[in-house]
Amino acid sequence: MINTPQRLVHVPPGVQCFVGDEARGRRRIEETVVQVFEGWDYEEIIPPLYDYAEVFAGPALSPKTYSFVGRDGSVLALRPDFTSLLAKVAAGRLRDRPAPIRLYYSGEVLRYEPPKAGRQSELHQMGLEHLGGERSAADAEVLAIAAECLDRLGAQSWVLAVGHVGVFTGLLAGSGLDGGALETLRERVEGKDAGGVSEVLERSRVAPEAARAVLRLTEMAGEAAVLEEAARAFAFSPAASVAVAELTRVVEALRAAGLGDRLAVDLGEVRGLDYYTGLVFRAYAPGLGFEVGGGGRYDTLLERFGRPMPAVGFMFGLDRLSLLLERQGRLPAAAPLAAETVQGPALGEALTRARARRQAGARIRFGNGGDR
Amino acid sequence: MSLTVALSKGKLLAGSEALFRRRGLPFPGGEGRKLVVPVDGLRFLFVKDMDVPTYVEYGVADCGIAGRDVLLETGSDVYEPLDLGFGHCRLVVARLRGSGLSYDRASTVRVATKYPRVTAAHFLDRGVSVEVVKLAGSVEIAPGLGLADCIVDVVETGRTLQENGLEPVEDVAISSARLVVNRASFHARRAEVGRLIETLRSAKP
Repeated sequence: MINTPQRLVHVPPGVQCFVGDEARGRRRIEETVVQVFEGWDYEEIIPPLYDYAEVFAGPALSPKTYSFVGRDGSVLALRPDFTSLLAKVAAGRLRDRPAPIRLYYSGEVLRYEPPKAGRQSELHQMGLEHLGGERSAADAEVLAIAAECLDRLGAQSWVLAVGHVGVFTGLLAGSGLDGGALETLRERVEGKDAGGVSEVLERSRVAPEAARAVLRLTEMAGEAAVLEEAARAFAFSPAASVAVAELTRVVEALRAAGLGDRLAVDLGEVRGLDYYTGLVFRAYAPGLGFEVGGGGRYDTLLERFGRPMPAVGFMFGLDRLSLLLERQGRLPAAAPLAAETVQGPALGEALTRARARRQAGARIRFGNGGDR
Repeated sequence: MSLTVALSKGKLLAGSEALFRRRGLPFPGGEGRKLVVPVDGLRFLFVKDMDVPTYVEYGVADCGIAGRDVLLETGSDVYEPLDLGFGHCRLVVARLRGSGLSYDRASTVRVATKYPRVTAAHFLDRGVSVEVVKLAGSVEIAPGLGLADCIVDVVETGRTLQENGLEPVEDVAISSARLVVNRASFHARRAEVGRLIETLRSAKP
């Protein structure tokens, strides 16, 4: 055996390579999702692979970004997500286009992240952004699109867990909780850890009424009836009440459209407070312990790029989706037509026949076998 | 499909069994060394305590029982809806009795522990440079033998510390047994998971 240098054999951690059926399966999933996006009149955007690091600045993404210095000394970054890039284009090049702007993407992003459940440092995201437009209608639309994607992919027993970060932030408005304590509290609410939430609140100066309400967020998950309960319990807080009403409006629309049994309300869903401003949701299904996708409303991001407007979006992870469909035995049938061999002693004549068979739509394998 | 429950083979096992039995929930008995045991509509996995959150995070188990200390160390993304009220302990920094170890005198503190993540985060927050020596067990002997200046470990009664000539310096965290639930199971199998949570909630001592 030839002694090949290790670097020419080893695969660096964080990346992966798909061959044959696996690659075909992924392509089918991508095609299905993209068709749904197109069907709701979203336009594809193919943004650059890297941009100025500032574009992606934010406490959540910055530490995970692969950045490097360009020839002119500017700091560049491989895209860790698509949303910032789309916001930049919508506010810049598409500035004269009236809202709402509907855009979708499908491609790889890069993040320093330990590999976990099919997700590597290089991961493929398929998602869309609805920029501008009436909020409730846009929220309901993107949830319906996510639902249609999961249905068309044949995913079983999937659920969209929906929440609204405005309930949490509304209850704590003016509470004086500082960054560190607020983050600890958010993390404990997110974990549905009532004991942990009480502990943080006891050490804080949050008013008793608001504290009791925040504590209840850990158990406000389940059927849509949770929203009625929330409306009653949080009536004292105008900001939280607005958030509950907004979410209720969207949930009612989805119920009316026949998606009621696909929804799980979860008011303890409070991830990404530096980014999300309203509706948040994640897609789950039995068979995979992790979400396959998710998103939410981010009304303040576009302002950074000079065109303030509300926005909502979501994405699916292709790696997670294919893992889920594989576990549920629903991977798209990837087997191609069997190939027929076209060969002959006279190369010109064989090639003529091969072209004719291709014209007829056959899958052919040309030639006389392997290399000699 | 029945729910799968991951349990630790370690110190939380007796408390977990008592809790399940008190509430009339099925629990394996006398299956010997089998590690995957189906009993009356539940499936039990018996794994290392540090691995319980991993099984649950990946959804291989829908739920499990893990100490808060272990959850802090693994940093797993799971729901923790119930403090089960047993397995109380503290994670502490402990030093040799009378060693006079103080952070303001040490440029770098060498700490032996089974909890490298928690330890690193604790000293980072205190503004102290730390060299973490990861051990799998018998951490208490490390300072006496010169492997480390101090340890970060779990203390229940304090007896083990005492017998090894150690004394606690400060608390790192307070721990007890928690019910942990996989995020996808919580939402996608809401009815079954919800029933189990409510049954266990009412069984708290």
